[in-house]
Amino acid sequence: MTAALAVQGLRADYGRTIVIHDLELIVEPGQTAVVIGPNGHGKTTLLRAISGLVKPSAGRVTLDGREVSGLNAEAIARRGVVHILQGDGLFPEMTVEENLEMGAFLRMSWRARRDALARVYNQLPVVHEKRAQKARTLSGGERRLVGIGRGMMRPARVLLVDEPSLGLAPVAIAAVYDAIRALRADSDGAIILVEENFSHIEQVADVVHVLEAGAIVRSGSYQELSEDRTVRETYLGLLEESV
Amino acid sequence: MTDVVAIIVNGLVYGSIYGLVAIGMTLIYGTLRILDMSQGSMVMIGGYAGWWALSTHGFNPLVALLVAFVLTFVAGTLTELVSVQPLIGRAKSGDFEMVTFITTFAVGIVLANLALQHFGALQQNVPPIVGGVLHVYRGVSITYHELTMAVISVLLMAGLGLVLARTRWGLAIRAVAQDLDASRSLGVPVTRLYPITMGFASALAGVGGVFLGALYFASPTAGDLPLLEALIVVVLGGLGSLSGTLYAAYLVGLMQAFCEVKIGTTWTFPILYAAIVVILVFRPYGLKGSPSEARL
Repeated sequence: MTAALAVQGLRADYGRTIVIHDLELIVEPGQTAVVIGPNGHGKTTLLRAISGLVKPSAGRVTLDGREVSGLNAEAIARRGVVHILQGDGLFPEMTVEENLEMGAFLRMSWRARRDALARVYNQLPVVHEKRAQKARTLSGGERRLVGIGRGMMRPARVLLVDEPSLGLAPVAIAAVYDAIRALRADSDGAIILVEENFSHIEQVADVVHVLEAGAIVRSGSYQELSEDRTVRETYLGLLEESV
Repeated sequence: MTDVVAIIVNGLVYGSIYGLVAIGMTLIYGTLRILDMSQGSMVMIGGYAGWWALSTHGFNPLVALLVAFVLTFVAGTLTELVSVQPLIGRAKSGDFEMVTFITTFAVGIVLANLALQHFGALQQNVPPIVGGVLHVYRGVSITYHELTMAVISVLLMAGLGLVLARTRWGLAIRAVAQDLDASRSLGVPVTRLYPITMGFASALAGVGGVFLGALYFASPTAGDLPLLEALIVVVLGGLGSLSGTLYAAYLVGLMQAFCEVKIGTTWTFPILYAAIVVILVFRPYGLKGSPSEARL
């Protein structure tokens, strides 16, 4: 079976600072892979390198066996990569509905945007309620939900979700993860979700990868890794601090 | 009463044409963060297009407007490709604004000098789009040319507003102005959107140039004053704010008409510009602006 997404020997840097090096990652079709790791170790850069917002300086990224590394973000989006950016990436001066419509900007999905809107509104009633408001007037949790809704506006071969719990209160995080479960049920593509720790991922992770200092250092099921002594010390320690 | 009608009629006419020339600048600043100093040359090219189509060939006025639109659309697109596109992503935001301010200004000067080489320094007469005068009220009259100018300006600006509010590409233009990375990740082809946006903005100024050509002349420097006026309107309205630009255009138009009717033409510009200084001292970000935010 061809992997939905294969990352081989990936390297990304900002000038002289190397953020990611020799990174290997395989995600099977339909699989939800969660990448956890401390801040500043390259999680966001990994997603941005996959979606083309950052140009990798070495290595290959293939989608369904076809190389996409080197293409620009627009071309990679057309190949079926949907990227839900860290901190929403909503358009603040547009209404919620306009933000969602932008999720269907690509020509094929634009024609089906009415149906897609109906589906998102059905699954995320809060988003429906706020549809006429400008995005900048929403709370952090609501914005995150709109971001996820926007990610549902076109079919994804590979869906990238960047730290959906970042900066949110526990209640809001629960709502966001409800939405992610809906998203997961809704999509038949692969999902790569990035988080700082184990706290919220148990119900969504098919496989967990640990990213440290720019490379994947451990991989396994949620069960295996959350029982592993060294991983526990690092990430459950982090968890206790952050709670 | 006669004075009031005269002020309102003239103010609306001036305001419409200020708006038409300035709104393109606002569109470009709102999306690309460029103060496009080549806009004056688009007015100049529009003037020559009007002269060519109306004076030398006697075409239908609609043809003149169409030729001006297409010509300045192409010129604006090329200006973007030459003076802006190579700089995207290479200069930090403040530097990018300054460098493109100069590169677009330079392109404008090149275009003006090409016109000078080709057409000479002589001013060329551009006939009005429509002849005749409409008497509005007891001695207050307006030429049909001015009326057409105001109506077409309003229609074009309303059309632009509709495109931005309702269409897929209009949404994309606003999206790019507000979050570049998010737009790219959603599949917006930014490298094509930029030149097209600049082409449309330039075409609005080009159409304005045909009308202004008949009020003044077609000449290599015909764009200089409109550029300055547009710049003032854009800053007064609040950089990047479309609605602010409209308010400012009509405010400046009405103030100008007021000075002309009530005080006398020699005092128009000193008073107008003094008023602008006062307004900006009290509202540094203009009528509708806010500090460095996306506003489209």
